[in-house]
Amino acid sequence: MKLKSWQMALVVLSLLALVGVGLFSGRFMIYLAMRVMILAIFALGYNLLLGQTGLLSFGHGAFYAAGAYGLGFFGLHLSSHPLLGLLAAVVLAAVLALIIGFFCVRHTEIYFAMLTLAFGMMVFSLLWSAREVTGGDDGLVGIMRDPVSFFGLLEIPIGKDRQYYFLVLAVFVLSAWAVQRIRLSPLGLALSGIRENANRAEFAGLSVKNYRLAVFVISGAFAGLAGGLETLLESNARPFMAHWGHSAEPILVSLLGGLQTFAGPLAGSVIFIAMREMVQRFTENWMLWFGIVLLVIIMGFRGGVVGVFQRLIGQAGGGR
Amino acid sequence: MEKMDRRDFLKRVGAGALVTGAGALGSGVMVPTGLWAQAPKIKGPIKVGYQAVLSGTLAGYGEFHKMGAQLAVEEINQKGGIAGVKVEIEFRDSTMKPDDAIKNARYFVDSWGADYLAGVDSSGQALALAPIMDKLDRVLMVTHAATEKLTEEWVFKKGIKQIFRMVNSTYHDSNAAAFIAKDLPALKWATVSPKYEYGFTCWKLFQETLKKLKPGVSFPAESWAPAGTTDFRSHINTIMDANPDGLYSTEWAGELITFLKQAKQAGLFDKVKHVMLPVGAAMDVLEGMGAEMPDNLWISGRYFFLYPNNKDNNDWVARFRKRWNHYPAYVSEAGYSAIYALKAAVEKSGSKETKALIQTLEGMELDTPAGRRLFRKEDHQAMYDVPWGKTKGDPKYPFKIMGESKVIPAKSYFSRPPFEGPGADPPFSS
Amino acid sequence: MLQSVVQVILAGLSTGMFIWLVASGLTLIFGVLGVLNFAHGSFYMLGAYFCFTVLKYMGANFWLGLILGPLCVCVIGFIVERFFLRYVYHIALPYQLLLTFAFVLIFDNLVKIVWGAGSISPPALAALGGSVDVLGRKFPIYNILIIVVGPLVALALWGMIEKTWWGRIIRASSSDREMASAIGVRVPALFTSVFVFGTWLGALGGGLAVPYVGIMTSGMGETIIIEAFIVAVIGGLGSLKGAFVGALVIGVLTAFGTRFFPTFDMFLTFILMAGILLWRPQGLFGVAR
Repeated sequence: MKLKSWQMALVVLSLLALVGVGLFSGRFMIYLAMRVMILAIFALGYNLLLGQTGLLSFGHGAFYAAGAYGLGFFGLHLSSHPLLGLLAAVVLAAVLALIIGFFCVRHTEIYFAMLTLAFGMMVFSLLWSAREVTGGDDGLVGIMRDPVSFFGLLEIPIGKDRQYYFLVLAVFVLSAWAVQRIRLSPLGLALSGIRENANRAEFAGLSVKNYRLAVFVISGAFAGLAGGLETLLESNARPFMAHWGHSAEPILVSLLGGLQTFAGPLAGSVIFIAMREMVQRFTENWMLWFGIVLLVIIMGFRGGVVGVFQRLIGQAGGGR
Repeated sequence: MEKMDRRDFLKRVGAGALVTGAGALGSGVMVPTGLWAQAPKIKGPIKVGYQAVLSGTLAGYGEFHKMGAQLAVEEINQKGGIAGVKVEIEFRDSTMKPDDAIKNARYFVDSWGADYLAGVDSSGQALALAPIMDKLDRVLMVTHAATEKLTEEWVFKKGIKQIFRMVNSTYHDSNAAAFIAKDLPALKWATVSPKYEYGFTCWKLFQETLKKLKPGVSFPAESWAPAGTTDFRSHINTIMDANPDGLYSTEWAGELITFLKQAKQAGLFDKVKHVMLPVGAAMDVLEGMGAEMPDNLWISGRYFFLYPNNKDNNDWVARFRKRWNHYPAYVSEAGYSAIYALKAAVEKSGSKETKALIQTLEGMELDTPAGRRLFRKEDHQAMYDVPWGKTKGDPKYPFKIMGESKVIPAKSYFSRPPFEGPGADPPFSS
Repeated sequence: MLQSVVQVILAGLSTGMFIWLVASGLTLIFGVLGVLNFAHGSFYMLGAYFCFTVLKYMGANFWLGLILGPLCVCVIGFIVERFFLRYVYHIALPYQLLLTFAFVLIFDNLVKIVWGAGSISPPALAALGGSVDVLGRKFPIYNILIIVVGPLVALALWGMIEKTWWGRIIRASSSDREMASAIGVRVPALFTSVFVFGTWLGALGGGLAVPYVGIMTSGMGETIIIEAFIVAVIGGLGSLKGAFVGALVIGVLTAFGTRFFPTFDMFLTFILMAGILLWRPQGLFGVAR
């Protein structure tokens, strides 16, 4: 699929805007933008599972936490190189996703959701109770951002938020690109096939279980990457990252933006964080207003914001 | 396409570094020196960013924080503000989550332009904020979170000087309790406590200190209640089976109410005569229990509105009651005093710059409703005395109050800098 | 030792019965409507608050409060189903979850606005506040009452579903919606009635919980909904029998674990949940859908 010209323009504009934020905006804006991008990486990967394959996981917080604690432990005990730490985060998350996924992918729908919930909460309780190792409910604190060193030849400092922003941006762009590639690859097409009709896919000779496991691990790895990035940003890792309440975040974000589109989770992440921030500015009763806005979006934009937007564009262009 | 991305990325990183470099240089140049520092002129208003939990099961605590801080701001502004400048305060819901605490602090400083931060309820939140406080570079006056790690590891060892704590820490809940417990005719102690760091730490310190003070004590049972526990019957049975002389519990807020009610029904207080509740003197607990609160339980907190019984405190309680139709909770006192600490520091230093505030606050003495506080220079912990006392009824109040109180001086039970080696932990020989 | 074991069993049974009261409504709604209702915990909370309000401001006694309070919550349940949930039945499951989640936020916040941020701790019941002696240790009369009420509710539900006209339509519609509709059942109205009835069960659980937990807060629904959820899943989503057995298992297991293994953890509960799901995805008594 080639990008239509307006889509291409949108991509370029967004990239320019993101670079502009990094260069010119204030520190809080930069911080929020990083939170948006990290959530978007989490959700983009997650949506390969939910949007593309039709599997609803309630346990991806566990992989996010695996990434966060993975980076934390790696930094504390082995090497504080941020990129190696992120690599460790991704690997640990992927391995955990492989183990948990092995048990979960035989089931679908609500059973799959419940199994992933149970496994995710197991990880949560482990992180909470293994205090000697994990710091219990205080979590791992004080993880610092060392410069990114390339074999000692070149050192790029990321200690300041503005510097770290560009690392997050780079990882975000690479992740978005990778996710899009996966969506359009033969793997992605097979996954859509499984979503539409698992039996037919099985008849066509696809090993449905293996495909599901593969996408489970991939989305888990993205969750781990996001977790690692957040730990570098906030300098802590905490058990709540594995809690089902956090696992629900990428679901929420994907639904807000739209399940079946690539841009859905991106738009959803922006809406989720920006909206909460705005609501909190004008009222202490943010839960009430946030809930009302959610209601409106669910009742009004049932295909997600991006889906509705695309339909409008389609109508305006007189297209199909 | 991919290659361009990567090259692009490096360029952007380079550019980013340049910009921040320039920024750092700029602020270095802007620091007032020489003549400017001699004649400081505070540009108003002075902005305070206050975060406390305002949603969920503990939302009541946030309201109490707000009442205290709000009252202080109103009083100060009525009298012309701080050094002639008005005080503005904004409250945000901390939701008890560390990531929200960080976001709030960043919002206050970077977007709203706060000069001073206060609040913070949970230890996890305080510890998450610690590493970014030097970057945000504002004083953070902690008014509830109790972990001793905050002041010892972050302020003292790692030198994050922006953090101060207005209230007692885990030492009061554990070591001071041990000083009371040593004089009670009880040798076997058991606990029902929260199943998280706060509960674990307090129980450990209580045991260690009590063992030193009173050789021969034993600790036959412990039972842990996860956050959100609504049924303590199994915990109560654990304690009753062990048949201890004393019960120590750091349960707090709503869960303490549930625990006390269920323990009373089960007859626990008929069997165990010596009960210590380090955070039992909280107004939500006392008012919530009402007449059902058993008599003769040892309670304490961060502040209790009847102590000290002097004019300053009694006047304050009267003003608080007039404004809010409520007795002040301990977080209200802490929130109130946090604003007055800012006032004192600004007026003394003639500046609202963080560096000046830190210098002034270090070692500063401050008269507050809870009595005179001293901000210990080394770890920025406020040292002041909070009594322990036994619950008893009083016809003047619709709830039980703290009777016959006993004061252990804070100096005698707080660990001392450098917090390591023999002699750093109580009991001290001198 | 024996007295402790008996006490722990009794404690486990009464905890289990509370979870059952909440899980029954959750299960009924899922079984018939196919909706997982996160807001069910909010109905539990609202039940508690409305009972308390009726008690306090109308000067009614506890039992009248227990009748009137949940009825008020039923009105709210009706609004939620009739004007919101109804419009998302046909779209994907996650949207329904999200919708009910939005209501959790709204109700938690509304409770804070209406009843205040602080916790409310109603005084003990005069009539049922006492205890009886069980092998030399006190056990509250109120909890014994709960241990009796739980199975009675289960029995009544069973009778209603197996023996009444309404129950027959429910069974018909939950096994085949189109067929029921074809033979003239007004499915939307049926769904509304089931949702409202499920709401009533949750609110009743909340009202009954207050004297036992001793305190109400905004956000009190969140712990119980997770427990009810686990129970409903272990027992088999949509199976009332399963929810009843599941609630007993979890209640007694937690009580025993807490008493005899100080390191007992939620971890074990979730291992149990995962184990049962792996062995029987439809749960102990569920029917594969």
